Amino acid sequence: MDKKIGFFICTGCGIGEALDVAALCKVATKEGKAPSCKQHPFLCGQEGLEFIKKDIAEGVNTVVIAGCSSRMNYDVFDFGPEVIVERINFREQVVWCHPANDEDTQMTAEDYIRMAMAKLKTLELPEPFVPEDVSKDVLVVGGGLTGLTAALEVAEAGYRAVLVEKESNLGGYTAAFYKQAPSRPPYTDLEPNEVPAKVQAVTDNPNIKVYTSAVVEKIEGGPGKFDVTIKTAGGSAGERVGAVILATGAKPFDPTPLENFGYGKYPDVITQAQMEELAAKGKITRPSDGKPVQRVAFIQCVGSRDKEHLPYCSAACCVESLKQAAYLKELNPEAQAYVFYKDLRATGKYEHFYKRLQDLGTVFVKGETSAIKIEQSGGQLVVQGEDVILREKVNLPVDLVVLANGMVPTTAGEENILNLAYRQGPELPILKYGFPDSHFICFPYETRRTGVYAAGSVRAPMHVPAAVEDATGAALKAIQVVESVSRGAAVHPRSGDLSFPEFFMQRCTQCKRCTEECPFGAINEDEKGNPLPEPTRCRRCGTCMGACPERIISFKNYSVPMIGNMAKAIEVPEEDEEKPRILVFACENDAIPALDMAGLQRMQYSNWVRIIPVRCLGSLNLVWIADAMSKGIDGVLLLGCKHGDDYQCHFVKGSELAGIRLSKVSETLDRLGLESERVQIQEVSIMDYDQIPGIIDRFAARLDELGPNPMKGF
Amino acid sequence: MSAANEQASRFDPGFAREFYALENGEYAKLCMQCGLCAVTCASREFMDLPPRKLFKLVQAGDKEAVLQSQTPWLCTSCMTCTVRCPRGIPIIDVMHGLKYFLIQQGSKAPVALMSKIFAENMLRRGRVFELALTNSFFLKAYGPVGAIPIALKMRSVGQPMLLKGRLPLKPPKKIKGLDQVHKIVKKATEVMKREGHQDGV
Repeated sequence: MDKKIGFFICTGCGIGEALDVAALCKVATKEGKAPSCKQHPFLCGQEGLEFIKKDIAEGVNTVVIAGCSSRMNYDVFDFGPEVIVERINFREQVVWCHPANDEDTQMTAEDYIRMAMAKLKTLELPEPFVPEDVSKDVLVVGGGLTGLTAALEVAEAGYRAVLVEKESNLGGYTAAFYKQAPSRPPYTDLEPNEVPAKVQAVTDNPNIKVYTSAVVEKIEGGPGKFDVTIKTAGGSAGERVGAVILATGAKPFDPTPLENFGYGKYPDVITQAQMEELAAKGKITRPSDGKPVQRVAFIQCVGSRDKEHLPYCSAACCVESLKQAAYLKELNPEAQAYVFYKDLRATGKYEHFYKRLQDLGTVFVKGETSAIKIEQSGGQLVVQGEDVILREKVNLPVDLVVLANGMVPTTAGEENILNLAYRQGPELPILKYGFPDSHFICFPYETRRTGVYAAGSVRAPMHVPAAVEDATGAALKAIQVVESVSRGAAVHPRSGDLSFPEFFMQRCTQCKRCTEECPFGAINEDEKGNPLPEPTRCRRCGTCMGACPERIISFKNYSVPMIGNMAKAIEVPEEDEEKPRILVFACENDAIPALDMAGLQRMQYSNWVRIIPVRCLGSLNLVWIADAMSKGIDGVLLLGCKHGDDYQCHFVKGSELAGIRLSKVSETLDRLGLESERVQIQEVSIMDYDQIPGIIDRFAARLDELGPNPMKGF
Repeated sequence: MSAANEQASRFDPGFAREFYALENGEYAKLCMQCGLCAVTCASREFMDLPPRKLFKLVQAGDKEAVLQSQTPWLCTSCMTCTVRCPRGIPIIDVMHGLKYFLIQQGSKAPVALMSKIFAENMLRRGRVFELALTNSFFLKAYGPVGAIPIALKMRSVGQPMLLKGRLPLKPPKKIKGLDQVHKIVKKATEVMKREGHQDGV
């Protein structure tokens, strides 16, 4: 593309008053070789936009706008897919955080113009990769409540769903429920189980193809073109789908190893599932002798919140016990329920249900439930525990004990469910407790495999309404991914990004770093170790680009030379001018918003810094640091997301990888005769904006102590 | 087994049912032991049981502990707990119902007696005569012999109050319209009797 640049400076929001705009225009036209430089006091207004559009009509195809952050007005400054828009952040990162009409502030603005112009040299419009024969069907694995709901939602939105269920009947765990906990106002009354009706609706829906007694044997390809092999009772079937929803749910925890509860030893100690079966008969009787029950103890947290067994809260059991206590009273008004609990977690609207149960006269006994002992003497079950509120021992004779056993995700088992043909393994990566990992805060449904969404109790322990909501969310995500792929666009977090990595294979050394480090399994490998990119799986983070020692991976609008040129475009003053320079590589997801927020709050920090946004710190190529250092820049600061078990990185482990790579950079620095302290990495989340000035100023002060970069002037 | 059965009576809903039948008694069921009442209560440090614990004992059916508790008598009806209770329990109304119940049960707690003497004293003139109030309370509660050491113990409080005129020797003037107050009380007593309650005062 032959670039015809139109350079615009917005003088609104205090930019015009704080900077010498005429001088900046000179930098843009003389040094940056922009054919023209125009200024306007209100570019994002109607008149300002017309001002830009007039130039576009005259043939400008590359618009540089120096004004506010690229996170602002991105929709306003969208001139269609044929026009490159490059934004220079004069507002949040220059005039709002540095003193007005100051020599150094002016230099900062000038540098940003040089950097943008250098970036434009190698920047191209992305050409989307649109695979052939994109399928918009959605595979739903698991025919329980979540799977049924997801399939119905997909079908009702006008897409075709393929439902695979291992058992011979649809419905799953909740199908056997006698009643369902309240799901609508006033949240106090039991409701009939909705699962059988859902099973019927799925069976009747022409847009849903159901495979029962079937398992997924293999999933090949990527979003938009997953080829699924389904093993059925009779043989096998093939389906091409665009997205996959994993809804295999959880299995009830087996309480047999917890000997103190006597499960398996005493027939009248049962699990929640067994209680549902008893209630379904219309009258709750003891399994041992068939006598009706009067006094029933419900023991919460059986296995859950126990370091030895399930360290997490299983989320549904408290409400299920309340529900069972409610129908116990409904079936026999004389019956008395005793709930032994640690913390009753009837969250949200279920508070009303909990209150209702108290109103029904249910006795709640608070204590450490894992210390409860259940014994039987003379045919009488006795619950021995402690009431921590009354501070006394409890010895309660009961007729029946119901153990609220927690849930174990199906992904925690040995057997494979999805059988993905990915280099990175056949199943979804797991971070904690056997649940497939996701970015819990920002993208709860996303797994580390693009186009594969986990929903329901396989993703996290949850109760009925939460699973329904989850299934609906995952269905929408699945639709989003098939639609995005059919346009060649990325899904979350870089939604709509049309770029994708290109490999210059002639120079590949088969080192396998890209295939290993890709957090999303987007790069398979052939027998020789050559990367086989699967562009539809890619989330465009650039981790492969940062990993490649040969620097053969690049995007049309994001590449190693491009960022390197930006770093090299910074004007580094001579040593005697005592104007050090700090280069900041900031993650676009959290660090850049934090920097913008600091600007919005008018927080002041050192104007030695020059900020380059990166897609993810994982895309950081060490050559940039070497470039910056040999250019004479005094220090490099990397701002990325928190990593570790409770990571915040939107691309899972980008900031962690950057940290690992950085630990190796000290060697390079030593070779250059530089202190390794000159390059630092900091974790910043969007909420840490108030710490930005501290982080930058401390780093600047440290560099001051170290003295100027000896490479200056070489 | 007998021990177990004794324990079972601990959680016997018998007393709880009796309590729930009291005026506003039913609200005691709804307590979820969050403890907000206890942390907000101005009289908490004088109470033997915070309101939440009292409700827990009701739920557990511990009649004896509830009857012995001083808590309802120390409630000043300031409303703070009531407005803060997340379960919306009108705690002071429950306390009022409980006080009435305790009187019916013939509670011998000194604070119960104090309440009775206070009401009598106040109704005589429409104002409280502190000297008569303290004298008659200590004499009735502890007897003439038992009252002496208490009076001596309280000297450091009583003497300055006497000297400063905060404990007048003469009874205060009657309020205007005392007969109207008496009429109200009489009417209220009649209504209570008609509805089958005993005379609370």
